[in-house]
Amino acid sequence: MDTIGALFHGFAIAMTPGNLLAVFLGAFIGTVIGVLPGLGPTATLALLLPITIGMDMVTALIMMSGIYYGAMYGGSTTSILVNIPGEAASVVTCIDGYQMARKGRAGPALGISAFGSFIGGTISVVAVMLISPFLAETALKFGAPEMFALLFFAFTCIGGLTGKSRAQGLLMACIGLLLGTIGTDDIQGVDRFVFGRLYLQDGIGLVPLAMGIFGLGEILYNIEKREKQGSILETPKSLLPTLQDWKRSTFPIVRGSFLGFGIGIIPGGMPAIASLMSYALEKRVAKHPEEFGYGAIEGVAGPETANNAATAGGFVPLLTLGIPTNSVLALMLAAMMLHGVTPGPLLLLKWPDVFWGVIASMYIGNVMLIILNVPLIGLFVQLLRVPYGILSPLIIMFIMLGAYALKNSVSDLLATILFGLMGYLMKRFGIDPAPLILAFVLGPMLENNLSKALIMSHTGNPLFFFSRPISGTLITLAILVLVYPLVRWGWRRAMGRSQAS
Amino acid sequence: MNVDRVLGVGAVLLAIPVGAASWGFGVGSPKSPGAGFWPLVIALTMAGLGLWLILRPTPNAMTAAGESRWGKFIVSLGTLAFYVVAIEPLGYLSATVVMLFVQLRWVESRSWKSSAAIAVLMAVISLVLFRVLLKVSLPEGVIPLPRGW
Repeated sequence: MDTIGALFHGFAIAMTPGNLLAVFLGAFIGTVIGVLPGLGPTATLALLLPITIGMDMVTALIMMSGIYYGAMYGGSTTSILVNIPGEAASVVTCIDGYQMARKGRAGPALGISAFGSFIGGTISVVAVMLISPFLAETALKFGAPEMFALLFFAFTCIGGLTGKSRAQGLLMACIGLLLGTIGTDDIQGVDRFVFGRLYLQDGIGLVPLAMGIFGLGEILYNIEKREKQGSILETPKSLLPTLQDWKRSTFPIVRGSFLGFGIGIIPGGMPAIASLMSYALEKRVAKHPEEFGYGAIEGVAGPETANNAATAGGFVPLLTLGIPTNSVLALMLAAMMLHGVTPGPLLLLKWPDVFWGVIASMYIGNVMLIILNVPLIGLFVQLLRVPYGILSPLIIMFIMLGAYALKNSVSDLLATILFGLMGYLMKRFGIDPAPLILAFVLGPMLENNLSKALIMSHTGNPLFFFSRPISGTLITLAILVLVYPLVRWGWRRAMGRSQAS
Repeated sequence: MNVDRVLGVGAVLLAIPVGAASWGFGVGSPKSPGAGFWPLVIALTMAGLGLWLILRPTPNAMTAAGESRWGKFIVSLGTLAFYVVAIEPLGYLSATVVMLFVQLRWVESRSWKSSAAIAVLMAVISLVLFRVLLKVSLPEGVIPLPRGW
């Protein structure tokens, strides 16, 4: 089946009444959680994971992806109208979006953000559709050494692109890897770090970990340190940007689409990084960079486009290589595995309905989001008027309910609270938890492929990886990523000395 | 206090027992790795990164300004601990009503009446949604539920 034929097949799957409802629910829930500060897409997906077990696989994935890209749409609303980012990816939108709103231009800011998100999301989905089959075919030739090298490269990128510093990010990733080793070892059947506890023999669940760190941790932080909510500006009557706004935004939207997609496919390339990089790029190439920070529409159009493009871009490594590039996609990987579907190069061959159904649903979802967001902006703004004091206990209730419902286990509740405390401490001290979750998910794959590759080598010599072109290239890239900061540090030190002398 | 340094010390201290336990699992050899091989690699990496963070820490990230509400934080944690202990003997409905009421009244400082009303309403709605409609198994406990719930 050619790509176009396969896409039509995907549309036939995505347009069944049940799947259309899933797209709508995903887009709507995503926008709501994007608007509301305190509950991100990671915690929401973790919360919904137990419910998706009873659902059809394709329907569940369609809904989950809708929540993910819907959250990116919704996140901009609070940034522009309240100066509080609903999502990390909307932080930079606050800078110029809120300034535009204060000058009475909230409508064009929200409008260009919605249209940019739509264009970026759609361009990115087209790219996902075109690149994925080719990448999956290449990845079919991968053996254990190549898979280990790819995962190792992903691991080094995750540590580097997230967090305050590379070493801190990598340390968090190591803690995630360590948590992933808890339980009975798959290969040798040895119990590792279980301390005689039956609960730990199956390993720590991703749901208590993700809900604790991302959901409960955030709520506990907000309870301990309540920040004053800014005043909500008036909902604009019209969201349509002027011709001048479009002129200024066209190139930022185009650049944001490609930049976002490129960042999205890199492991660790989260939408938040895409929006930050787009903002920096737009400021650098702008004719009037002095307007940035005072309501430049380019500072809204570029980042909002980029974060949506990155969201769709992240599906390339997930669906073709089985590698999630961020914590939300890690939960989608977990959902697929719970249904017995193994994401990776075989997905397109064994489960084409999953792949093409999800891709087609993303086209529909992007159209649905723009239809939802433009006329319903007033409704979403009303959500912001619900006091956080009511929302916070309700979110706690849903977190505890989700944690318990997965296995009817009180131990899962306890684990969620412990990880919640961990998440609180991480938030309190400015430590990014994303590398921990990603490494937790990637860890078992990394270990399995390393063991297989070493056994394949017959000698256990690590140079074996360099005897194969793909694994050799990937390991070299990973080493470059790792040593680059050391080289830069040494270079700066040497330069500092020479200048001093 | 520098966060990176504290993390670094923690990582080194954690790496020691993890490394020791890994030996116990059986490290094997590079051409035939044992169950302890991977945890040992992690422990060694953690120790290395920990030392790096101790020697080359980055300045602390800016934390958000705002009042600290430690009392409310402790009450909230206490409620969560209560929920863990109470959900099975008391049942989902009763445990959730109590947890929500305490959170709303003493953590979020809402009035007695609105706290009680929201707690009961939301606990019942979530029970109907999850237990009745989505067929999620939730403990019944001390309050008998209507037939078919």
